[in-house]
Amino acid sequence: MIEQLGNGLLLGIIISVASVALSLLYGVTRIVNFAHGEIIALGAIATLFLSSPVDSRVIFLDRFSPLGNNFYISVFISVILCGLFGGILEFFLFRPLRKAEVGNIAVLVVTIGLSLFLRHIYLLFNAKPQNFPLELQRRETYIFFDMTPRNFRVLILGIFVMVLIGLFLNYTRMGKAMRAVRDSNDLASVSGINSDNIILFTWISSSMLAGLAGVFQATINDVRYNMGFLILLLIFAGTVLGGIGTSFGAMVGGFIIGIVVNVSVGLPFMEGHTEAKNAVALAIMILILLFRPQGIFGEKERVS
Amino acid sequence: MSNKYLKVTNLKKSFGGLKAVDVQSLNLNTNELTSIIGPNGAGKTTFFDLISGFQDSDEGKVYLNDKNITRSQPYSIARLGMIRTFQLTKVFDRMTVLENMMFSASTVNNDSFIRSLIRLPSQKTTEKNIKEKSFEIMKDLNIDHMANSYARELSGGQKKLLELGRSIINDPDILLLDEPLAGVNPKLAEEILQIILNLSEKGISILMVEHNIEAVMKISQRVIVLAEGMVIADDTPENVRSDEKVIEAYLGSENE
Amino acid sequence: MKITFKSSLTILITIFSIFLVFLLNDEGEIPILFNLLTFAGIYGLAAIGLNVHFGLTGLLNFGHAAFMGLGAYVTVLLIPHAAGREGVVITTGLPFFLALLIGIISAALFGLLLGLPAIRLRGDYLAIVTIAAAEIFRLLVRDLESVTGGVYGIINFSNSLQQYRSGFIDNFASANDLNPSQIWIAFLSWTSIILVLLLLRRLTNSPWGRALRAVREDEDAVRALGKNAVWLKLQSFMLGAGIAGLSGVFLAFNYGTIQVSTFVPILTFYVWAIMILGGVGSLTGPIFGSIIFWVIISETNGIAQLIFENANGQQIAGVRFVLVGLLIMLLMIFRPSGLMGKKEELLLDVK
Repeated sequence: MIEQLGNGLLLGIIISVASVALSLLYGVTRIVNFAHGEIIALGAIATLFLSSPVDSRVIFLDRFSPLGNNFYISVFISVILCGLFGGILEFFLFRPLRKAEVGNIAVLVVTIGLSLFLRHIYLLFNAKPQNFPLELQRRETYIFFDMTPRNFRVLILGIFVMVLIGLFLNYTRMGKAMRAVRDSNDLASVSGINSDNIILFTWISSSMLAGLAGVFQATINDVRYNMGFLILLLIFAGTVLGGIGTSFGAMVGGFIIGIVVNVSVGLPFMEGHTEAKNAVALAIMILILLFRPQGIFGEKERVS
Repeated sequence: MSNKYLKVTNLKKSFGGLKAVDVQSLNLNTNELTSIIGPNGAGKTTFFDLISGFQDSDEGKVYLNDKNITRSQPYSIARLGMIRTFQLTKVFDRMTVLENMMFSASTVNNDSFIRSLIRLPSQKTTEKNIKEKSFEIMKDLNIDHMANSYARELSGGQKKLLELGRSIINDPDILLLDEPLAGVNPKLAEEILQIILNLSEKGISILMVEHNIEAVMKISQRVIVLAEGMVIADDTPENVRSDEKVIEAYLGSENE
Repeated sequence: MKITFKSSLTILITIFSIFLVFLLNDEGEIPILFNLLTFAGIYGLAAIGLNVHFGLTGLLNFGHAAFMGLGAYVTVLLIPHAAGREGVVITTGLPFFLALLIGIISAALFGLLLGLPAIRLRGDYLAIVTIAAAEIFRLLVRDLESVTGGVYGIINFSNSLQQYRSGFIDNFASANDLNPSQIWIAFLSWTSIILVLLLLRRLTNSPWGRALRAVREDEDAVRALGKNAVWLKLQSFMLGAGIAGLSGVFLAFNYGTIQVSTFVPILTFYVWAIMILGGVGSLTGPIFGSIIFWVIISETNGIAQLIFENANGQQIAGVRFVLVGLLIMLLMIFRPSGLMGKKEELLLDVK
């Protein structure tokens, strides 16, 4: 059980960070971004690409040499790249759609198409699961949990990042502006906030966070073309559980989902069915949407 | 006294600490044309939502014809004879005006899956009758020339008329009109007002929320004033007009 | 279907895309064409079901694969079959058409089960819930290994349907060097399409169809006029689910095996792409969308070879999915009404 709890914390930090990213984006733009998983994957893939030779079978990239060998610089650059990517998506895709007053459903379907598109571009570049070029470590004990020192550092870093975000949202001007746009777009624009800039900033920061979540995931597990897609539903679950529209809720919800997924393996009715561990978390999400759609911390938003 | 009336007791609704509606008692009699007025944010539309089933009250009871409808579904309440319109006109944009009307006129049984699948000749007759009835009402409301246009092509005022037409085609007992004159040009407003009067004379009880005080005073038999969720006056138009509390409520809100 | 500019153009494009099959292939065009048409029939039927959900009623269902899967599994489990590596082998069962009927009804009931709680949810949340439900379905089916064969699937069931194959199918197949089993499936699925479309045409132009369209427009108004919007949506959900179940059965019989890995999100996305391409809300749209879509898919082989030397299966699939994703995006951005959809009837807003 303790072991599962440890794994749960690790999965939890990945989902937490990713959920906060998704929640921020949804809060400000009202877009459910199904391509979120692909931005997460991008963080991992870019880091991999930058920090080690990539075994790529795409002809024209065959002989590409890596940009640098320092892992942490690669992480840093790839997170920035993700932010850039998010900014590009907003500027060239979602902003024109918004200006053309394209409805939410259409945008949602566009993100689904985008997700499919990106994920398989990654596949074409990088078919097999790969690991970051980091040396193998042995597990050590931290309080109750056994995990590698690196994973422990990921956990701590993740928590630190989230605290930073919380502070940012509550105490900086930009953070407050984001919350204002989230709570009411009309009111915000009336009080002189330029929502276009806020939205752009949100896309960039959300994507950076997502990329970081991807780096975490790849550190703890590995790099796969569909790594984002695999946890996308869990991220939705975390966001819904914690409360749509609250970042704190997303943080907590993400952790709970991560723990639930791993701990559910130990539940009696799950014996012999461990492959279906995601199912429990998903079922919880559906139940929440039906019976307490505002999640744990959210305010009642129109869900039906 | 006949049973056709609406009775509201102790109806309360708050949103996160803010009291939206707090109506101790309100009774609607048959055949009355009653208006609800009040400054913005007084809780008028919320009150409508509460009695028509679109929102749940925190406390209180609503009775229609002695039947407890407090927790009833909106469609049940409508089937019991109380039909409401909406502040933001809700017409079926991508259906024609005629289809809008025929939808309303068609009964739930007529709409059924099985019946639509099997298509007995009796359904053809029913559809024909519905069509005729729809045209009748559309002619009365002067929108019959738009019968085959998509509803979204109508002007704001015509949409209000369509919504009205849909609401009356089944001879409701009580009509709840939420700002029937909002955003309508004065000439059309006159027409709508006259239509409302005619409906009232035909025997439909009408409860109307309106901001247009002149119109309200002109046709209402009874005026209820809501301020901050509570009833502060409930009397004839003349008495309400000179009621101090009412004047204060409106003046107060003007100063904000 | 009326002969309008739009429908003529669509037919022309469809014919042209079929022509492309002959153009782009040096040999074996007929088998390729019929293979394509078989899949087009199966997926077209699925898209027709999805169109009932989204086109007619405005429901964002992204779990369509689960309805297809349920129809398939229930039907197959009721006829003679062999499950998985060490699963059960059943040698007797119900007559095929009875099993099929039960399968379709089961899919519809699954629609009811899922819909009862979920149908009240707003558009984007319904999308998430349907995806989650489909995933739960997939996980459960995969886990019930002894019954469903788990990841190994179920085999040895085709005969129940193929035994009814008529002589003229066999003759036609051998005359053209085709697989008679597949032609039989193609024949059945296209016949089903025609029957289902006739049914739907009757329904959409009826009071029931009118009520559903009203629900699509404005549920609150529907309620205020005395009709139960939720129940209407449920009925539509069940109908579309049943149609999907039927298509799932054909899909399984086309492969001759049924595996849970067939009924994954990709399948749902394919059906969505076909529906959008054909034209949301158009009765016949899915037919054309499906044919053109499958021409594109079957020619991706060639495109993949252009990009990669000796493209392997995974790369071909990758190119395929990249194209589908791109297609979905471009359609929604530039031509959301697809081929046959009516621009005035586009529903693109979450209410």
